[in-house]
Amino acid sequence: MSSIIHRYTEMLSKKESLESMPLSPYNWSEADPSLQGEKKTLFGLCRHCMQGDCATLVHMEDGVVTGVEGRAGVPPNYGTLCPRGNSAIMSLYNPYRIKTPLMRTNPEKGLDVDPRWKEISWEEALDITANELKMVREEDPRGLVICEGWGERDTILRIPFRLAFGTPNEIGSHGPLCTVHYATGLIHGNFPVSIVDLEHCEYHITLGRSLGPNFATTGGTRKLTKALERGMKLVCVDPRCSYEASKGEWIPIRPGTDFAFLLAMAHTMLYEIQTYDTEFLINRTNCTFLIGPDGNYKRAPGSGKPLIFDEFTKTPLPFDQEEAHPSLSAACRIDGEICNTGFDLVRQGFVSYTPEWAETLTTIPADTIRRIAKEFVSAAKIGSTIEIDGFFFPFRPVSLNTERNVTNHRGGTYADLTGKIINMLVGSIEVPGGCLGSGYRGARAIEPTEDGTMRPGYEAEERPFTFPPDHVGLVEFFPNCHTTPHLAVNAILEPKKYHLDYEVKAWFSVGGNPIRMNAQPEKYVEALKKIPFSVSIAYHMDEPAVLADILLPEHSFLERLRVAPFYPQHQSISDEVNGLQMIQMRQPVPRLFNTMHVDDIFMELAERIGILRGEGGLYDMVNRGEDWIIKDHGLNMNPPYVLDIHKRYTLEEIFDLQIKGWKFGDGTGLDSLNETGYKAHWQPRKNFYLYYYYPGNQTKHEFYFHHLKNTGDRLRNNLRKYDIPFPGIEDEEFIFDLYKPVPHWVNSSQDQAPKEYDLRAINWKTPYFSSDVGNVTGNPWLAELYQADPYEAVICLNPETARKKSLKEGEKVTVSSLYGKIYGVIRVSELFHPDTAGISGGYGGGAKGGSPLNRKGPDFNALLSIDIDTLDAVSAGQEMSPRVKIEKRRNAQ
Amino acid sequence: MRYGMVIDLKKCVGCNACTIACRSQNGTPAGINFNKTKKYEVGRYPTAKMKSLPMPCMHCQNPPCLKVCPTFATHQNEGGIVTIDKEKCIGCRACIIACPYESRQFIWKINNYYENQKATPYEKLKFRKFERGTVAKCIFCIDRVREGLPPACVHTCISEARIFGDLDNPESDVSRLIALHQAAPFRGEPGTEPSVFYING
Repeated sequence: MSSIIHRYTEMLSKKESLESMPLSPYNWSEADPSLQGEKKTLFGLCRHCMQGDCATLVHMEDGVVTGVEGRAGVPPNYGTLCPRGNSAIMSLYNPYRIKTPLMRTNPEKGLDVDPRWKEISWEEALDITANELKMVREEDPRGLVICEGWGERDTILRIPFRLAFGTPNEIGSHGPLCTVHYATGLIHGNFPVSIVDLEHCEYHITLGRSLGPNFATTGGTRKLTKALERGMKLVCVDPRCSYEASKGEWIPIRPGTDFAFLLAMAHTMLYEIQTYDTEFLINRTNCTFLIGPDGNYKRAPGSGKPLIFDEFTKTPLPFDQEEAHPSLSAACRIDGEICNTGFDLVRQGFVSYTPEWAETLTTIPADTIRRIAKEFVSAAKIGSTIEIDGFFFPFRPVSLNTERNVTNHRGGTYADLTGKIINMLVGSIEVPGGCLGSGYRGARAIEPTEDGTMRPGYEAEERPFTFPPDHVGLVEFFPNCHTTPHLAVNAILEPKKYHLDYEVKAWFSVGGNPIRMNAQPEKYVEALKKIPFSVSIAYHMDEPAVLADILLPEHSFLERLRVAPFYPQHQSISDEVNGLQMIQMRQPVPRLFNTMHVDDIFMELAERIGILRGEGGLYDMVNRGEDWIIKDHGLNMNPPYVLDIHKRYTLEEIFDLQIKGWKFGDGTGLDSLNETGYKAHWQPRKNFYLYYYYPGNQTKHEFYFHHLKNTGDRLRNNLRKYDIPFPGIEDEEFIFDLYKPVPHWVNSSQDQAPKEYDLRAINWKTPYFSSDVGNVTGNPWLAELYQADPYEAVICLNPETARKKSLKEGEKVTVSSLYGKIYGVIRVSELFHPDTAGISGGYGGGAKGGSPLNRKGPDFNALLSIDIDTLDAVSAGQEMSPRVKIEKRRNAQ
Repeated sequence: MRYGMVIDLKKCVGCNACTIACRSQNGTPAGINFNKTKKYEVGRYPTAKMKSLPMPCMHCQNPPCLKVCPTFATHQNEGGIVTIDKEKCIGCRACIIACPYESRQFIWKINNYYENQKATPYEKLKFRKFERGTVAKCIFCIDRVREGLPPACVHTCISEARIFGDLDNPESDVSRLIALHQAAPFRGEPGTEPSVFYING
């Protein structure tokens, strides 16, 4: 493997280009003279980050796009726009775009091998692709893998196309480096993440994430600014002192040890402070449920209802028995078995996690952990209430939130769940001021099951087990995983080892790029070389494109018609958009090249394959689909506004029907939306807090993680049933150790690294790179900024660490993990924990024939691992803080 | 009427949205930025902080750049906005030396955004405003201001750290903020009287 890595890094440092892709300057065609003097403004909708909802105005003059600015007075950005959004014009006028359909003529594939592209017509490109896909489908539809990603998130027909084709294999290339979804799905019934109520919060602890400023999001940053102005205390636990940490209290932490901090904070609350929101714990959690020695709920004979221990009668009663007084803390004997309450089991589980223990791992002084825990509990104002729109809520103005750099380690799901325990102890879940889910805000999110606890949502809901596995990404073995390109790559290379009974015959890139956006790039290259046919809906010559057989060039985002529902925001919420239901649109600018809209490509291909019309076809799947995140609040085909599955539609006609049937709409369609660019419907603000839908004791969150344990038990039973080992791992207890109902400390996958790997690499999103959307690294305006930024595209080291290693500012180094190595330049900074090698953004990588800007800077992801024993067993999240060593590069040019 | 700007460093998050909004509005060639944001750190680990300092032209009431211009290319417009007439500028660069704020840049060459590539249609149209061998700088988005709009950097600011208005009007937001926070110009060189004020953060 090391020779492949060597080849990869060397290849990227070579200067010469490929013959069929000479980097001679592109000749732009002259603007249409008939448009001379014409001025117009279009309604835009940004797509330079994952959220993609900032309203813009796109100005044109003489047929040229001359300006993109935030649209004043319109939510959610109210005129503001981040640096990426302001650089949109360069995504349109990019000479490195793919301008016409291309076909490979060289059968040999490789990142540094010339595909010998031949220009072909759209007819040819679509016919060839459709024929290849049709053959795959006839043999076994599972042979097609669709790789989606941030490069193309405007499509509404990708999922219907996949369903009509009949393959389960859709894989998000970006997912395993951001597995932040399980605890939010379990506790809030929401996707994607948990956020903070910045309108009311008074004490906020944030770990491994951004509230907005770190990667410059418009709404998040403004809301945080306002919250700080009114006096909210912000505590940032982070190995790096970011702008956010600089505006609050920075608690530096050794990378990868956030879980230990969380365990110690919970320990302090459970053993030293012992002030809880008892009402919340008794009424709204499963804390009072009695647990048998097998770890499961003890159930009432007959009804099967979970039992609680009644404080007055001193007997076990069904949890929903009227007038019962459930004990938070109790032990009793039922049928000869000793049972404890869920609360007691969690508390007992945390007994050894003292702040002193955590100090040895995190380097955070024990007294600091104690102080933060005390401040958090006292700021929670337990017992207080607030009235919103005539409804009385518990008021808990504190929230602790965790994300990517907490969850992306072995044990990361436990860490996320421990954060939930901390919030639950003070009752700050789904009430004003507290920790909220983001996404679907409605009763369906926290609807109780017959056990009284809410139904786990999204990724907390386990996927069914089938054997042999259907999914090339091995989701059968990781039933709560996020996306799994890292598992698919192994299964593609060695299907038998991973129990697959079919081979992958075709790869379809739709905005996904695992070579750049995942780990061990050389393995993905091998996998793509092995797959007989590869097609890419491509914006520019990225890695999957240079390895493809056919390139189907797509519009840049400004050229792309889009109508989309507004998703409640990812980072925080405040009075600005609380209660807002909205649809927005983007009016396209004229296309520059021989490109197509991604969804027109899907319709054309489906028609040729014979899966567009009729029952089970693409249109049928559009009719049957529901917005995955916001369900009935989104844009769906609501009767009578459904597609006739035998007719052909334009994309405009599909949007028109969706808009007319929108739940919060006024019955008008695309024409009316074209006049305003957006339609807003304001619901009462009380609707935003899920407590409102099931107040008091009407639904319960899991405090004792019964569902997680049950998922693990079922997975183990299935392995026994089919008599198979867990694939890709020696000792399956390494997996099942992470399916316990009470979180416990687990060793990092990096603990066994040799001593010279003495630092841990960290990564963060930046104002110039929030994710690989719209090829922001190839954007020359943004490149000018990051090149001037002292902390970008460099290896950041604490001065003390640099001194010990005799490394100086500007020195050229090699950073190596157990999985890969990268080159970089040292930047010495006081803003980093001494055990850290800080590497920002998503630089480096790149393919020959693409923009040279894409190849600059250190590629953090090349330090990461796809090995199963390094993953979090629940989410399949990859380790984001690999141990690394740093060495001077002698004779470096 | 005297146009001025307040930049609240307590709110600024150093994201450079201002720099790019300015680029998009004014179409400055590669390497020429009317707005620059300096990023730096203060203090020692573990109490260090990350800081930023956005720097537009200060639009001094008493601009040293104007005094040294031999061709009267630099002039003060209504409301005190300082601009350069590229037709009159001979590129002597005396103004660059005179400016204490490094607000001005000399255009040695009109550089395209994509290295080794030709000018895009956007550049062809926008670069008409610039000429090789002349000096360029922030113009407080004078065209926008004349239409009653705030400069692009103020309009785009994601943390609402920039406020634009009339310094002569004691009731304006800028005047109130300056009074409330005792906002001060950057390097108050005697006599230049900048129209940009900073709230310390």
